[in-house]
Amino acid sequence: MKIYITGYGLISAIGIGEEETLASLRASRSGITVGKKDETRAFKVGEVALSNDELKDRFHLATDGSRTALLGMVAAKQAFNGHVLLDDVRTGLISGTSVGGMDISEKEYRNYLNNEDHKPENYLHHSSGITSSQIAQELGIDGFINTISTACSSAANALMMGARMIRSGMLDRVIVGGTDSMTSFTISGFKSLMIFDDDWCKPFDKSRKGLNLGEGAGFIVLESEKSLEITKKIPLALLSGWSNASDAFHQTASSPDGDGAKLSMIEALNVAGLDPSDIDYINAHGTATPNNDLSESHAIKSIFQNVIPPFSSTKAFTGHTLAASGGIEAVFAVLAINKGLLLPNLNFSEAIEETKLTPQLAFEEGKTINHVLSNSFGFGGNNSTVILSKV
Amino acid sequence: MYYIQAISSISNQDSFRNDDLYTSLRDFNTEHDVVAPDYKEFIPRNSLRRLSPILRMGLTCAIESKNVVGKDFDAIVVGTALGCLKDTEKFLNTFITSTSDFLSPTAFIQSTHNTIGGQISLGLNNHAYNMTHTQNNLSFEVSLIDAILCIKDGKTNVLVGAAEEKIAFLELVQPKLISDIYPLASGASFFTLSEKQQNSTVAIQAVETNFNSKHTDREISSFLERENVTLENSDLVFTSGNSLNVAGSSLNTINYLKYSGLHYSASAFATHVAHDFLKNNNAKYALVINDLCKGNLGLILLKKG
Repeated sequence: MKIYITGYGLISAIGIGEEETLASLRASRSGITVGKKDETRAFKVGEVALSNDELKDRFHLATDGSRTALLGMVAAKQAFNGHVLLDDVRTGLISGTSVGGMDISEKEYRNYLNNEDHKPENYLHHSSGITSSQIAQELGIDGFINTISTACSSAANALMMGARMIRSGMLDRVIVGGTDSMTSFTISGFKSLMIFDDDWCKPFDKSRKGLNLGEGAGFIVLESEKSLEITKKIPLALLSGWSNASDAFHQTASSPDGDGAKLSMIEALNVAGLDPSDIDYINAHGTATPNNDLSESHAIKSIFQNVIPPFSSTKAFTGHTLAASGGIEAVFAVLAINKGLLLPNLNFSEAIEETKLTPQLAFEEGKTINHVLSNSFGFGGNNSTVILSKV
Repeated sequence: MYYIQAISSISNQDSFRNDDLYTSLRDFNTEHDVVAPDYKEFIPRNSLRRLSPILRMGLTCAIESKNVVGKDFDAIVVGTALGCLKDTEKFLNTFITSTSDFLSPTAFIQSTHNTIGGQISLGLNNHAYNMTHTQNNLSFEVSLIDAILCIKDGKTNVLVGAAEEKIAFLELVQPKLISDIYPLASGASFFTLSEKQQNSTVAIQAVETNFNSKHTDREISSFLERENVTLENSDLVFTSGNSLNVAGSSLNTINYLKYSGLHYSASAFATHVAHDFLKNNNAKYALVINDLCKGNLGLILLKKG
């Protein structure tokens, strides 16, 4: 059974929606800058410029929520634009998030610790599940609502869950993706792990030092064949392969050879019924941490052997948007397929010695891109791969 | 039918390695949060020190389940509404109050919801599908739906469960967030499911989630009708006592929150009790109704044989 993609939407440091995002990608213009807020000022981050109130005003958001929920509403509304709710099309929403409403909770908890005006009712926005309920409410969706929280692979896993629910006949149409906002919690967390680069991150480069944090959301709409007959939407791409596997090596670090990454790429190719040589572009996880990029390089080499397709990490554009990354990068994959894009890997100068892989360096358009493989790896050794294909 | 091959629960009740939790149910005990097994039997002492209660519970239930079924899981699915609260609060405290540039990352690392599933994969050296769902009071039900999809995808030995952790801070904010009729508690319940019956006597027949529930009896009877069952021939109905009026009839009902205490995944505990009731009694069907949160309804139908 084919799983059709009939909508997409995204918001990140490089733009809101397709037009702004494409302009940044074409110009190789990173969205990562010195932070503009109190909590981000000491770092280079990929922030969305608009404040919460600006997001609500500009996109006419009727539902209140955390910044994570608001970013999710913006991207999910874009993706669902032109779709209508119908009784005979069972529609769900599955979103990935790692921080949920932490942006609100951490402020409230600070008030609590400082014996300032503590309002416990604000924690109603805290749970990750509430984040998805609020996004669903904004879209009027109540057929099925679910949240995946597997750290940085959350959105990719949401895509997979949605595809499996459609395939089994439980849903006809589902909006899938992920959202995460920048919080002091995650900034302090990644700082404690000492995996920030103080400078612009350099994915797959020999001298890479670590990641830049980002925020944003990305969603796509999946539909069954039966749903298409009713909605009359024109499919833009297919979600053809998916997989999740455990690295079972360490709570945060990837295994040296990328065992979990290999398993997830192999199984996703199996689900899609494709050979490695069918893949025209790999959107790598590529966080620019020394550990991830080496491990992922080994895994890519092991699967693709001597014929490695053009690959790049787009994290140097957006920053690492954590649970949202698989959603944002799925939209990049749809754009790549429809416009024949190869996306550049910014800030690269020299290959990693052990693996000697050089990523795609220039923006290219008008290529034939039939199949894109996209990796998302999370804490807990949670490795996911999705494959998007031309209709 | 999704046959239950093993169950492992840690709760306020004496549920761990208890073959008849239904018969041994006692009033909620305010003297302890959970009746914990000796974790040293399952987790090496040096790891144990670092693990919060929810990680200890989840990992122990998973290891015990693996020991019972004797073979590797080909999927691991975990539900949790609020996740690793102790480490989340600890890291909040650390970064808000610390003036140092160097913070210990341990609490941050262990604060993400999928630390439970990740620790299970590490503890069992398991490379299979590993998923974490979080959807408020329906976290266990959506996890069960994923587990059923795994079986439909061809997996043969699926571990699915849910875990919640109580922290003192939650009691402070409880009145503003959720009912305070019942005391808060921690708990974890894990089930091993397979399509083949093997030695199992009780199966999960169907699971349903409703995110636009009006909390009417009609919603429950429609679900049962689709499964060719009626409320009247459900031998025991587990409720979270929130709004449904199923107790009005001659039905046999149990309010499971009275035994598990209040947490968002208490329906997993109820599913364990329902299993033991069916297994040890002359009964055929049990229904677990989860209407802990307004608008959200979870239904789990269990069948013997």
